[in-house]
Amino acid sequence: MVMSNFRLSRRAVLRGAGAIAIALPWLEIMGTERTASAAPAPAKRFLSVYTPGGTVMNRWRPTGTETSFTLGPILSPLAPVQDKLLVVDGLDMKSAVGEQHQAGIIAWLSGTTQAPNGGYGGGPSIDQVIASRISAGQKAKASIEIAVRWATGKSHGLLSPMNAANFESTAPFRPIAPRLDPTEIFTDLFGTLDPSAGNDAARRLARKKSILDFLDGRYSALSSRLGAADAQKIDQHLTKIREIEKSLDTAAPVETSACKAPTKVDTSDYNPRTGLSADNDGKVKDTSTDAAIPKVGKLMMDMLVMSLACDITAVGTLQWSDTEAKHTFPWLNLSEHHHFYQHDGGFRAAECELICNWYSKQHLYLLQEMAKIDMGGHSLLDESVVFFGSELSDPPSHNKSNMPFLLAGGGGGLRTGRWVRYPNLSHNNLLVSILNLFGDNRNTFGDPKFCTGPLTNLT
Amino acid sequence: MASGCTGDLGGFRSDDSKPIDDPPPTSTGTGTGPTDPAACEDGAVYPGRAPLRRLTRFEYNKTVRDLLGDTTDPAYSLPSEEVGNGFGNDADVLSVSSLLAEQLGTVAEGIAKRATATPEALAKLHPCASSVRAEDEEACARSIIERLAPLAYRRPLAAGEADELLGLYTAGRTDATFDAGVATVIEGLLQSPDFLYRIEFGTPDPQRPELRRPTGDEMATRLSYLLWGTMPDEKLRLAAQAGELSTKEGVRAHAERMLEDPRSRVTVRYFFDNLLPISSLADLERNAETFPTFSRTIGSLLHEETQRFLAHEIFEENGTWASILTAPYTFMNGPLAAFYGVSGVTGDEFQQVQLDTTQRLGLLTQAGMMAGTTHSNNTNPVVRGGFVLDKLMCQKIPLPTGDILARVKPPEPYTGKTARERFSQHSKDPVCATCHQYLDPVGFALENYDAVGLFRTTENDVPIDASGGVPGTDIKVNGPIELVQGLAQTDAVQNCFATHWAEYGYGLTLRAGDACTKKAVTDAFKASGYNVKQLLIELTQTDAFHYMAAQEE
Repeated sequence: MVMSNFRLSRRAVLRGAGAIAIALPWLEIMGTERTASAAPAPAKRFLSVYTPGGTVMNRWRPTGTETSFTLGPILSPLAPVQDKLLVVDGLDMKSAVGEQHQAGIIAWLSGTTQAPNGGYGGGPSIDQVIASRISAGQKAKASIEIAVRWATGKSHGLLSPMNAANFESTAPFRPIAPRLDPTEIFTDLFGTLDPSAGNDAARRLARKKSILDFLDGRYSALSSRLGAADAQKIDQHLTKIREIEKSLDTAAPVETSACKAPTKVDTSDYNPRTGLSADNDGKVKDTSTDAAIPKVGKLMMDMLVMSLACDITAVGTLQWSDTEAKHTFPWLNLSEHHHFYQHDGGFRAAECELICNWYSKQHLYLLQEMAKIDMGGHSLLDESVVFFGSELSDPPSHNKSNMPFLLAGGGGGLRTGRWVRYPNLSHNNLLVSILNLFGDNRNTFGDPKFCTGPLTNLT
Repeated sequence: MASGCTGDLGGFRSDDSKPIDDPPPTSTGTGTGPTDPAACEDGAVYPGRAPLRRLTRFEYNKTVRDLLGDTTDPAYSLPSEEVGNGFGNDADVLSVSSLLAEQLGTVAEGIAKRATATPEALAKLHPCASSVRAEDEEACARSIIERLAPLAYRRPLAAGEADELLGLYTAGRTDATFDAGVATVIEGLLQSPDFLYRIEFGTPDPQRPELRRPTGDEMATRLSYLLWGTMPDEKLRLAAQAGELSTKEGVRAHAERMLEDPRSRVTVRYFFDNLLPISSLADLERNAETFPTFSRTIGSLLHEETQRFLAHEIFEENGTWASILTAPYTFMNGPLAAFYGVSGVTGDEFQQVQLDTTQRLGLLTQAGMMAGTTHSNNTNPVVRGGFVLDKLMCQKIPLPTGDILARVKPPEPYTGKTARERFSQHSKDPVCATCHQYLDPVGFALENYDAVGLFRTTENDVPIDASGGVPGTDIKVNGPIELVQGLAQTDAVQNCFATHWAEYGYGLTLRAGDACTKKAVTDAFKASGYNVKQLLIELTQTDAFHYMAAQEE
């Protein structure tokens, strides 16, 4: 049913309704002129924010009733945006089957189980499904994945053990490693908006285009000379090169009242590659980089918000550390790493609470920045959905029931300012509901064994 | 249940020559030859599969070091390879994500910038570039291209390719400077498929034109990446041009030369870092109260101990896999000797130390190996047994499926003073026993090493019963010394080692249809008396290395 070029005004319908039978639902044919009782417009932006190591449930859970509640101590920093929040309580990550932490981060957005022996998940993550619907091919970038202090553990920043939350939307659903370097991200996203860059950014763009043009030719020519299996690999590479070419052809962001380059900060004390080298000799402890996390995290959030406001992309993910979270928090006067407080050093509830509370403050900043931006009569937050979660709920047991999930924003008609409680339903139900907010009307997502359909009482 | 544990065979066959759990056939086919090694005929040629390979991050780093002198290991900022064969170079699972394509550009930009940053850097590309005059710029750019591009592509340039690159120079030079133009060429080269991928078209064998062989340049590249993990050196390039690499003998001579070069040690180190559970020892967390002498520093020294030992056995002692598994010595420095409780070793330099062979013998009994196969403050015989079966015997034991997990609840919490008590449910419950009869006896025999690999005779004051066995054999053992002796004389262990090297060396996962290739490698290893260095040479002597399977259409 193609309707996009055919809109009836309400008056026309009212005139004609008595005379002719209209088979189609009225409201749908009227397009944007929907009445208040119609389905709300789909959400336009999606952010997911990952924090490691669950929470401390009895310090997290609100008290009160659905619409009149007091946030627990861990969430209390979010009180100023409580009317924009939906505390989603009582969901279990039933699909998180596999290694304790890895299965959690795999299932969080994908709703699938971990393949045996430390493998990946079995399907796409919702952010990528959403990106393929509203962002890929329409924005300069289909999605942006960013992580702070990502390579603190055994994985050395490799994708095995698994530490990525995002999985490609097409088979074989490869994990997507996040971007780590704040300076590179800044140049890539906001190079043309950066007044200090002068003509460099334009020259760099022109040079990039001629290189990609050269590569396009080389990969195309080679593909035609190879057997089917090898040609497939080269074609895949060519496809990705063409995606980059296309994104360069998309008009660079222009400064508007909503879109401005974020304020650059000096991050020279932050080494985004700490821990990345597979043969590093225990130099993972990097106190300078740890100390810079708050500053870098803020910049990363600024860049994500602006990449939405500037329409560079419609979908983003922010990972606060990998699942091992073996970095310290000098600004909180915590000298051991997060995993130590979770269970490596025996569960330390007070320290875990302090860390979770700090993450709530960061999330407050993100949401407030989004709420500040006027997208034409409503805020960026109003047209977005922001999903905040973790890979487990209870650190010492690695338990994944009663997940500490938050939604925020008004996209897709999400009714916020509430604390909704579900009777230990599978979190796959939430994932499919989030897709529904973006106009994707499927009724199951992830491993169907763990999905009984969308949640009620979200919109 | 697709299990390697059903019935009483486990994954083991008496001839131990047939893969049990082959990967399911994929769209790229299952291989090219017979699937039964008994069908491999003497005198027949069984070409190897030659799927398109991409440089791994390890190889990329070494290659840009040799090509441009860039020692910054820039490829570590690329996303990691797919798991595949465990070495990150499995061509069968290669895929390109958007991030990889993008990051390849970012990495190339950084390298190009460094290579053109100063007059000294430019002079290294070509002498003409250090102080080039405006009217000579284009000629100099061409000189750089004609020197650099054949090295990057690992073959002579075809007609028009130099002009194509000069076009890139011109585009980069526009509104900018000479060095920007050259940097643009380098960025293009480093992202070109001719650099990133190992492309082999082959050439018909003059004697038997129905068979294709790698060209001289392609063979030089095969050899170089197999033994050095980098691009061919000058000697290999000249040998390729002189036709020296078109015979097995010619290739053998170069393989022998290359193994004497220190560069081969880096490859061997990489191989073992990926095969053995030692590369994360420097990050190992242990409870400080229970293990007061262990630290991350000790962890990284244990890593170094194992690598020093392996390098010495292989390169100085001409060691066999069996001698590595049962060597009566190791390497320690002062801090490490203190950790082990060995006296008479001081200072930071590593030195050879004789072992108390009632407590330790060979690779597997090194503390790093035992700590690396322990995930917490308690030993877990299943994890240790799983490592031995998977990595040393090439037997994949499947994780319990949902069905079994639903039927059998592990006791929670585990109780019992010793690991044997804690894991006794495995032998009591017949469902668990189908797999654990192979896993646990190996792990129990290693119980004399605690969670940081230190020797012990009791656990919680109860004497440890370290009896066990070698899976798939009649060998029963009492304790770790007998276990490693038993493993060292087991064919499955020898064949598995050779198979890992073949998969690493050929950059793929051996499939059912590669049975003759696998047989050729394991037979050659046996014929060499299981000599490790010889095995690396024999990898260059197989049909799989010298003949290419027809391209799949």
